[in-house]
Amino acid sequence: MDSFNQLMSGFGTALTLTHLLLAAIGVLLGTFIGVLPGIGPAMAVALLLPVTYGLEPTGAFIMFAGIYYGGMFGGSTTSILLNTPGESAAVVAAIEGNPMARKGRGSQALAAAAIGHFVGGLIGTTLLVLLAPTVAALAVDIGAPDYFAIMVLAFTAVTSVLGSSRVRGFAALLIGLVIGLVGLDEMTGQQRLTFGSLQLADGIDVVIVAVGLFAVGESLWVALHLRRRPAQPIPVGRAWLGRDDLRRAWKPWLRGPLIGFPFGALPAGGAEIPTFLSYAVEKRLSRNKAEFGHGAIEGVAGPEATASASAAGTLVSMLTLGLPTTAVAAVMLAAFQQYGIQPGPLLFQREPTLVWGLIASLFVGTVLLLVLNLPLAPVWVKLLKIPRPYLYAGILFFAAVGAYAVSGQVADLLVLFVIGLIGLAMRRYGLPVLPAVLGVILGPAAEQQMRRALQLSDGSLIGLVNTPFSIVVYAIVAAVLLWPVVAAVRKRGAERAVTKV
Amino acid sequence: MRVSPLLAALAALAAVLLVPPLLSSGDSDSAGLRGLRVLVPNSPGGGYDITARTAVKAIEDSGLSSGVEVFNLPGAGGTVGLGRLVNERGNDKLLMSMGLGVVGSVYTNKSPSSLANTTPIAKLIEEPDIVVVSKDSPYTDLAGLIAAWKANPGAVPVGGGSSPGGPDHLAPMLMAKAVGLAPKDVNYVPFDGGGELLASVLGGKVAFGVSGIGEYRDQIQAGELRVLAVTSGKRIPGVDAPTLQESGVDVDFTNWRGIVAPPGITDTARDRLVKLLSDLHASGAWRGALERNGWTDAFQTGPEFGRFLAAENARVADVLRELGLA
Amino acid sequence: MSTLTDRRFDRRWLREHSELGVCVVLAALGVLVLTDALTIPTDFAQRGPVGPKAVPVLVGGLLLLVAALLARDVLRGGKGEAEAGEDVDLSEPGDWKTVLLLSGAFLANAALIGLLGFPISGTVLFWGAAYALGSRELVRDPLIAAGMSLVTYVVFNNLLGVPLPGGPLVGVL
Repeated sequence: MDSFNQLMSGFGTALTLTHLLLAAIGVLLGTFIGVLPGIGPAMAVALLLPVTYGLEPTGAFIMFAGIYYGGMFGGSTTSILLNTPGESAAVVAAIEGNPMARKGRGSQALAAAAIGHFVGGLIGTTLLVLLAPTVAALAVDIGAPDYFAIMVLAFTAVTSVLGSSRVRGFAALLIGLVIGLVGLDEMTGQQRLTFGSLQLADGIDVVIVAVGLFAVGESLWVALHLRRRPAQPIPVGRAWLGRDDLRRAWKPWLRGPLIGFPFGALPAGGAEIPTFLSYAVEKRLSRNKAEFGHGAIEGVAGPEATASASAAGTLVSMLTLGLPTTAVAAVMLAAFQQYGIQPGPLLFQREPTLVWGLIASLFVGTVLLLVLNLPLAPVWVKLLKIPRPYLYAGILFFAAVGAYAVSGQVADLLVLFVIGLIGLAMRRYGLPVLPAVLGVILGPAAEQQMRRALQLSDGSLIGLVNTPFSIVVYAIVAAVLLWPVVAAVRKRGAERAVTKV
Repeated sequence: MRVSPLLAALAALAAVLLVPPLLSSGDSDSAGLRGLRVLVPNSPGGGYDITARTAVKAIEDSGLSSGVEVFNLPGAGGTVGLGRLVNERGNDKLLMSMGLGVVGSVYTNKSPSSLANTTPIAKLIEEPDIVVVSKDSPYTDLAGLIAAWKANPGAVPVGGGSSPGGPDHLAPMLMAKAVGLAPKDVNYVPFDGGGELLASVLGGKVAFGVSGIGEYRDQIQAGELRVLAVTSGKRIPGVDAPTLQESGVDVDFTNWRGIVAPPGITDTARDRLVKLLSDLHASGAWRGALERNGWTDAFQTGPEFGRFLAAENARVADVLRELGLA
Repeated sequence: MSTLTDRRFDRRWLREHSELGVCVVLAALGVLVLTDALTIPTDFAQRGPVGPKAVPVLVGGLLLLVAALLARDVLRGGKGEAEAGEDVDLSEPGDWKTVLLLSGAFLANAALIGLLGFPISGTVLFWGAAYALGSRELVRDPLIAAGMSLVTYVVFNNLLGVPLPGGPLVGVL
């Protein structure tokens, strides 16, 4: 109960008028900056760092918490409305969110995302309070073989999004894997597919790939087959989630955090893989499978709750181990150090007011996010009412600013355009876009973890399966792969039984 | 009223041409350093970025200059930014924040421009690496670790927070050479930064880790990590560990960060920039920043810094050549 | 040389099977990845049985395989469904002029941004894209485009401190 008392005193810190105001400003600033192209939560926190220089540490971190959550939600907003994810955690939200918006269900998609962030943040932060030391201790035990096993699991889940034609889905996946290969090999420093270009040495960012395939590819495709008769404006629809939506979304909201939180706490977790796994899980469990790809609300609700909970998980390893697992956490760590505070195992004892104030303000931040953004959802959606030429011109403009602003290089614009052309060709010939994005996310991570595991075992293949965790994951993989076979056999058995009768 | 398309286009053109300069003027002039820009060759929040932004803030707080702009041009371990700097020949309003990592990246990325093409201005800070194991590790001192390492280098994987060519990669390679191991035999496992490495050291996934001390201080204080040695020539205050040289491994190695300018600037311009950084170094704001960030002061300017750069370059090239990376 | 009707038939056959082009591209990509992987030098330090070549070789090989499988599928009459959408009219043949105009606007932005600054190149991009997509409001379009570019410029450059090139007159006026 000790942490409970401390949390209560943390709320005492967070709920002062000044801190409440700072949290609200943080959420608003974070949302608006997160909506800007090319600026994800990490950039948002880094850019707003100077704003907090004048504040005392507790106030500054309360504001950061707001910016972080706000920035994540801002990234999802553009993902859903304009098909241009602002950050890697929001890539999955575009898959179902954008079709929903196109059907006039943008408000519902945004509301599902906002509530997803709220639930994810709430559950994630609660788990943070209850489990922080335990999870941190476990996270340290997860090593390369375990990560590789998770990647294998993720690859088996890819098969569920290959689309109607397997061979075309695989072709798309391979295209993604090729894009993922570009750059310096992280283990040995050898150049792969860079053709001597320094701009390609760091590889191609997954956000650029997603924006190129989704937004630029879509714009070019629309240009190729432009509907010439006057299109009716996209209907904006009702502003609130219907009973049916709620019935479909509540389980994904609750399941998402269970996937997101542990991943966030892992040293090499991040948000891309858990959001995708959440998507795959929701698709598998949903009764509306046919709707997936055309705007299924489960595909927004689950991944968004996952993303938010994974953000909370990130804070576990940052606060208790001083271990930044994402770019945002790295920036926040730098901010801590600016104030002369060193996160790590002693932080909770040394700075209890700050830590518990920060945790309490995470709760406050999620509530504020919901309160401020639910009414804003219908306002954002009005964006879609603008005439089509402006809408697509705006999307291209947005994509270009995002690619250029961060690194200031024309080369990035050209890469974006080439990927857009690939996206156009894929649409023309029915190659699904999603597996390509997953190839970019999963390929490099899987290769790196596999080679790291083999290096740690000094080349012995046992090194891939020498942990209990990895064995459990491979068992799950086997179950997932064998399930259809078992089901088919049983079905045939059942049919035979029926015919006999 | 009907507006003609021509008029509209002209109005649009006038606006986009005129508004930006009007918004950006008004910076006050100070000592001919108006409009100074600092290029950061990695992304916001990275090491060079924090150094640059902290230095610029101290410069502005102590009134040495104003309106200094920091901008990021990340890519290829800093060599994309380096290429830009070298191309801006003669531009005396541009500085680049950089460090040891860029020296190695020039080789691993096969960058056409090198640091020899730049005008060295000043080295600002340094950060020693530490040789670290978890508290449950069988190695209690460096001698024990080295003995096991020499007996079977493959079974003693070493983790570092940088990719090949970076500081955490170079330190164990130099150590290996000093104890008579071939760098090629070292089982070096790169991680994405000191944070991810930390988890692997704590969990005993690698036999030992080599990393900057920054993210590790608290874990060391809490007794979760054991520091076997520091790589610098001098001990680190507050860390109970010998230097490598004290332990009989003849390596003196620190990660450092500094400032360079484009090639071909006049001597006057160079002296002005050196003076700016000397003034920065003397300022109270910078002292405070050093302490807050736990950085070791390592100030060196102009030709002295140039010779240091050349020596570092030679040392890095030597190691990387043996590894087939240069 | 075959007769005229034959050639016309050839062309129609090719148009119907243009998806074979995808197979060719995939195969070419596979060859590219394989050659790139095989030209990685081998004289560098490497630990562990799996080096930097293994995964590219695997991916390249799979690309060749998938290209062959896709070709078999196409020749047997399989067809990739072109993606449908609200703003897409698949009953009309492709309109490459619009695509070229739109690409031109995008590439013009890339070409001009360093030369004339973001406010101008961004205006060209937005106006050009809107024009390509059929907007002919010659008064409103350039003004909206200029407004968008300027607001973006100010937000990034002046409020957030993310520098964007301002144009030829910055520092002159």
